[in-house]
Amino acid sequence: MKKIYLLVLVAALIFVSCEEFLTEEPILQQSTELTLATFDGLDNAMFGAYAPLVSTNWYGASFVLDAEMRSGNGYRDVNKNSGRYTVPYDFSYTSTATPALWGTAYYVISAVNNVIANLDGKAGVEGVTQQDVDNLHAEALFLRALSHFDLVRTYAKQYTVDKTAPGVPYVKITDPAGKPARDAVDTVYTNILADLTTAEQLIDDSYSREGVASATSVASKLAIQALLSRVYLYMGEWQKSADYATTVINSGKYSLWGADEYADAFKADVQTGGEVIFDVYGLKSNSYDGYWDAITWLTNPDGYSDCASSNDLISLYEEGDVRGDMFIGNPEKAPGTFWTTKYAGKDKGTPDVSNTIVLRLSEMYLNRAEAITRGATVAGTTAVSDINAIRTNRGASEITSAGVNDVLNERRLELAWEGHFWYDLARTKGSVTRTHYSGAEVNRNIPADSKFWALPINKRELDVNENLVQNPGYGS
Amino acid sequence: MKRKLMMFLSLFFFGIGIISAQTQVRGTVVDEAGEPVIGATIQIKGTSQGTVTDIDGNFTLSAPAGGTLIISYVGYETQEVPVRANVRVILQNDSRLLEEVVVVAYGTVTREAKTGSVSTVSGADISDAPVVSMDKALGGKIAGVSITSSSGQPGSGSSIRIRGTSSINAGNNPLWVVDGIPVLSGNTNDFLNTGNTLASISPNDIESITVLKDAAAASIYGSRAANGVILVTTKSGKDGRTSFSARAKYGASWLANDNDFGIMSAEQLLTYQRDAAVNAGFNPDDPTDPYYRPKELLSRPLTNWMDHLSRMGNIQEYEINATGSNAKAKYYSSLSYNKTEGVFYGVDLNKITGRLNADYKLTNKLETGGRVNLSYSEGNDVPMQSLYYSNPVFAGMMILPWTPAYDEEGKHNVKIIENSNTNPRATAEYDDQFGKSYQLLGNIYLQYKPIRQITLKTTNAIETVHGDGRRYWAPETNEGSATLQTTMNKYVQLTTSNTATYNDLLFEDHSVRVLLGQEAMKYSSSYQFIYAPDVNPDIPYVQTAPQTGVEGEQGFSNETLLSFFGMLDYNFAEKYYLQASLRFDGSSLFGNENRWGTFYSVGASWNIHKEDFMNDLSFVNLLKFRASYGLNGNNNIEPYRAYGVYASTQYNGITGMRPSRPSNPYLSWEKNGTWNLGLDFTLFNRLDGIIDVYNRKTTDMLLDKNVPQTTGFSSNFLNIGSLQNRGVEFQLNYDIINNNEFRWDMGANIAFNRTKILELGDNEEIAYSEDGRLRHTVGKSLYSFRLLDYYGVDPTNGDALFRDEAGNLTNDYTQARYIYPGSPEPKFIGGFNTSLAWKNFQLGAFFEFKGGNKVLLIERRYLESDGNQMSNNQIKTALNYWKQPGDTGVNPKPLAGNSTNSYSFSTSRFLQKGDYLRVKDVTLSYTLPTELLSKVSIAGLKLYLSAQNIYTFHDVDWWDPERGVDGIGYGIYPMTKSLIGGIELSF
Repeated sequence: MKKIYLLVLVAALIFVSCEEFLTEEPILQQSTELTLATFDGLDNAMFGAYAPLVSTNWYGASFVLDAEMRSGNGYRDVNKNSGRYTVPYDFSYTSTATPALWGTAYYVISAVNNVIANLDGKAGVEGVTQQDVDNLHAEALFLRALSHFDLVRTYAKQYTVDKTAPGVPYVKITDPAGKPARDAVDTVYTNILADLTTAEQLIDDSYSREGVASATSVASKLAIQALLSRVYLYMGEWQKSADYATTVINSGKYSLWGADEYADAFKADVQTGGEVIFDVYGLKSNSYDGYWDAITWLTNPDGYSDCASSNDLISLYEEGDVRGDMFIGNPEKAPGTFWTTKYAGKDKGTPDVSNTIVLRLSEMYLNRAEAITRGATVAGTTAVSDINAIRTNRGASEITSAGVNDVLNERRLELAWEGHFWYDLARTKGSVTRTHYSGAEVNRNIPADSKFWALPINKRELDVNENLVQNPGYGS
Repeated sequence: MKRKLMMFLSLFFFGIGIISAQTQVRGTVVDEAGEPVIGATIQIKGTSQGTVTDIDGNFTLSAPAGGTLIISYVGYETQEVPVRANVRVILQNDSRLLEEVVVVAYGTVTREAKTGSVSTVSGADISDAPVVSMDKALGGKIAGVSITSSSGQPGSGSSIRIRGTSSINAGNNPLWVVDGIPVLSGNTNDFLNTGNTLASISPNDIESITVLKDAAAASIYGSRAANGVILVTTKSGKDGRTSFSARAKYGASWLANDNDFGIMSAEQLLTYQRDAAVNAGFNPDDPTDPYYRPKELLSRPLTNWMDHLSRMGNIQEYEINATGSNAKAKYYSSLSYNKTEGVFYGVDLNKITGRLNADYKLTNKLETGGRVNLSYSEGNDVPMQSLYYSNPVFAGMMILPWTPAYDEEGKHNVKIIENSNTNPRATAEYDDQFGKSYQLLGNIYLQYKPIRQITLKTTNAIETVHGDGRRYWAPETNEGSATLQTTMNKYVQLTTSNTATYNDLLFEDHSVRVLLGQEAMKYSSSYQFIYAPDVNPDIPYVQTAPQTGVEGEQGFSNETLLSFFGMLDYNFAEKYYLQASLRFDGSSLFGNENRWGTFYSVGASWNIHKEDFMNDLSFVNLLKFRASYGLNGNNNIEPYRAYGVYASTQYNGITGMRPSRPSNPYLSWEKNGTWNLGLDFTLFNRLDGIIDVYNRKTTDMLLDKNVPQTTGFSSNFLNIGSLQNRGVEFQLNYDIINNNEFRWDMGANIAFNRTKILELGDNEEIAYSEDGRLRHTVGKSLYSFRLLDYYGVDPTNGDALFRDEAGNLTNDYTQARYIYPGSPEPKFIGGFNTSLAWKNFQLGAFFEFKGGNKVLLIERRYLESDGNQMSNNQIKTALNYWKQPGDTGVNPKPLAGNSTNSYSFSTSRFLQKGDYLRVKDVTLSYTLPTELLSKVSIAGLKLYLSAQNIYTFHDVDWWDPERGVDGIGYGIYPMTKSLIGGIELSF
């Protein structure tokens, strides 16, 4: 009997040492298991999840530029372009020509889900406090909510249009074998709100990730609240949108740029004390730097320059409005065509990269003004005063009364080329009318009932996930 | 009457039997080393009576006095001895028979005993050819083994495909096993095309090379055997006193060009360019015209740049070796030096190799020995294998003839606008691109034979390659600044191989061999790379570079393999053979759910000629039928692919981690199952042949499979595809004449192979990773060209015409449809040889051929550009262009500044048939008569003259038809021709 035990023991030892001999861990990369095993590893993984935001598929270029090219703010100069960005401009979307946001956003979602799934048991080890873990958790939830929000407003009908329509899968647990179906739009919003409000509660008031070059390019409590204001606005929850806007405005952390600060503000490398609540940080050494395909080069009149501004937009600015000076031409090669200077490079030695603003203070005023015109009430403020707060800081004349359309018009003027106008039209059942236009005639104007208000999901995705359905009008 | 006679005769014989005295014979049979020979047959001459020796080599037999005993054993010369009481027979190795003993996995086998498909090349066939590495010597010699040179550069490697190509993402090169130990192959140098690891072994040290083609032969190598196994055996000590031999070779080499291919002369180019200018509405005589091409250009100093950039190469090789043995020890030792200068400036290779193979009998039961190979090589290179401006093959064809070669100061002209101010002669002179390699390949074994039937053996090996590389762009060629790249790399492979063999003859006719074994391998590689811009040209090292510019990189990877295996060989009466093998491989490369794989083979063969019913057909010396099936694996993938990993990512000024690859715990080997049927025969003692038919199916092929992006990834590397290789192979050798004065023999082999993709996961087609013009498409050959359908020239106006989707002709390039006009895979490959010997003269010739493959000549997009490349020279074939209505089958009309895409390298225009027949080797040698030499105590002296690649028949508009396995291989160093003289002296 003893002998048998001995034999079993020897066999087990041999087996174990065989397995040990045959285990070679990666050296220059870190195994997923190892990365997520410690708080420091999770912290690195959490920070890494921000990096794809600057991808050209997202805030690094096309998420913003596509929206502008679709909305009528954009224009293609027939002589000065590289052939890029014709799909959003001409609306030649098909099931294989679709925004690339899908893959990038779900990639970030999988990265933050990995973090969220491994938070248990990290507090109380090696000086890590529960608040440290909560802050990480809040950052992850913020990015998950932002990713899903950008997805659902791109690939689905808006909440205010048809909240029971198919949205996008809200992925809270990333399953390598998962084939999630599309959740309804309202389900997606419910989850976005749940993630954001949880994040709001978890995050420390003063938390800002250490070591980064730009503190506005990482999550903060105010960024979460600002995003909540926008999400509620998209849902038509006017009072909540106004309240969150007020919270951010009253935080005292931000102040409106003056007319003389406006142009320079878009060139700052790092934002301090101005309007920016959350932005995406451009830098040549970013792993996701888009180089020639990044937003700066595409709006540079001497660069690829595919994304010019339409005169429909430019003509809206009145004399003296500094926002009307945010355009630059190329008289030699493209007389009469102008490009936005909101991405004209940074003043700090890097003329060919720019930050992309996601959330800023003016939007909060505009959210609140719109909410008020639609029935929200905030003590001590009116829609007119909110709009004039902006206009007086832009060198524009003050207004005396404000209806919904005045607010939407001001949104277009203030937030032009920041990726808002298309989505504002979408959620308010607007339509696109283009007079200054050089694209294919068939899609010059986009009526309110067009299929293009919900863009197609890529066929390669439908091919590998039979649970997904395509939006109507794009085939299977 | 008849019956009476019979009775009488039988009585007579019986009577003799009675009256003959019987002698009791006791005897021992030993080999030359004095070791007993077990199982030797002792037969009384003229009878069928006999016996076999026991395990001590002893026998007893009752035989008629005055009779004769015949003693025979496979591999030894049969002897006859008179009957007497005590007999001691020393069997001599039968050198003729010995040639038929083939080294196979973990042992040797005679031709009569083999069950798998194995082919062999002897060292003698290799050493005469002036090749730097042994892989080059195999081309065309073995049916079904395709050796494709990706470069004609001295020392460069080859792509070896045994029975087609089996994989898309795992490797396709066979496993090399040297003296029983798997070794590294491929390029282990970072900056050289010539870092062929196998070149560390001198071809002269090789006793034999065996190629294990089918699964029955190769499966015992398990997860590494799917692409076949090449066994190399180096020379061991020859019997008898020490003998020395020395060789020296010297030769010259030059660019091959058998189709009068080449660049235009200055006159031709000027005429061409002026025509192109006129065709496009320009005036070549108007100095303000963008295409001003005055006739005065011809009165400038003219340079033939192809000649200016190439040269006569040369080859030198010197070798000395010593071999000998005594009762206890055997040794072989050699030292060789090889120096090759390429046909382009700046390309050379120096190599020193030393080897010691020693075997020593410690006791009667215990033997030890080792095989040690040391080598140092140093190569210089210039940028090749792509369309670099500094690639002399390409630049020599592109630089204008009226561009001066030297500047006013007599230095190399580096202001060559049409070649990006690059002069490859300046590159060769001023820039560095070298690699040094230090290699050790050694093993030590200990063998113990407790009893005659059992052999225990442990072999432990180490292989290391240390490499140094440097690339330096000097200020002379680099617009004043100096840039440096350096690299150091290290590869280490440790192997232990332990076997136990039981070998016995049971119940007279049942021969059994059982082998059990265990192996473990650990491989590691690492490198360091430093990039340093703006170094000080006086001290061109990293230290002098501005710190902000220096970039460094390191790489490490490890890999382990653990194996257990067994083999069983059985034969009955040398008629029926059965062989089975089983191997378990565990590998660190694969997912922990699929870490262990099982591989096996079963083979059987039948020596039909030994059957009684064949007795009447005495001209059949050997007739053998073989059948086998086996399963083996392909583990040639990058390490760590099974791990989900995070990679670092830079953002917002700091470094984070992001998911970079999903984990893949089920990642496993690609599997290859091969059926093989074979027939071996020898007729009239003159005609040898082998015929093999096989069906090889790859399953679980590793491919990237699309996954939903909602998982965070786009694809995962999974075992999903399958493909098939089917083929037939013939090999024949015929001794036409064989007498004392005159010998003439011929040999030929040909193999046909078809590859077909059966499944690619979700995809119907995927692009070849190196070049999208090649596709992997379900139902087609593994590689298929996908190109725009070029029709030819419009006879009315000289426009290029394409076929559109509907099949109609159009001159609009954008309307052209895609077609699949062929594959770079040859449909058949082979070779033939003949040798003629008369007295002391010997003439040998060897031819190699391939056919049915297509090659794509991308370079012609620049060199036959219909006027698109107005600031470059063009090739002569471009002169054949449309000149008047009605011209067909010519190039489109040249137009200066052409942008019609008539010259596009994505069309079928530059796709050509790659068939060739190469006169690979013609060698004439003369051996001095021994009676003459013995007076000066020289054992042998041979002189020879050898011509390599002296002529190639082909229709490819290029220097040489070989363009690598993908048939695209642009910018490659073409194969060269050479003429070599040599002398061999032994004493």
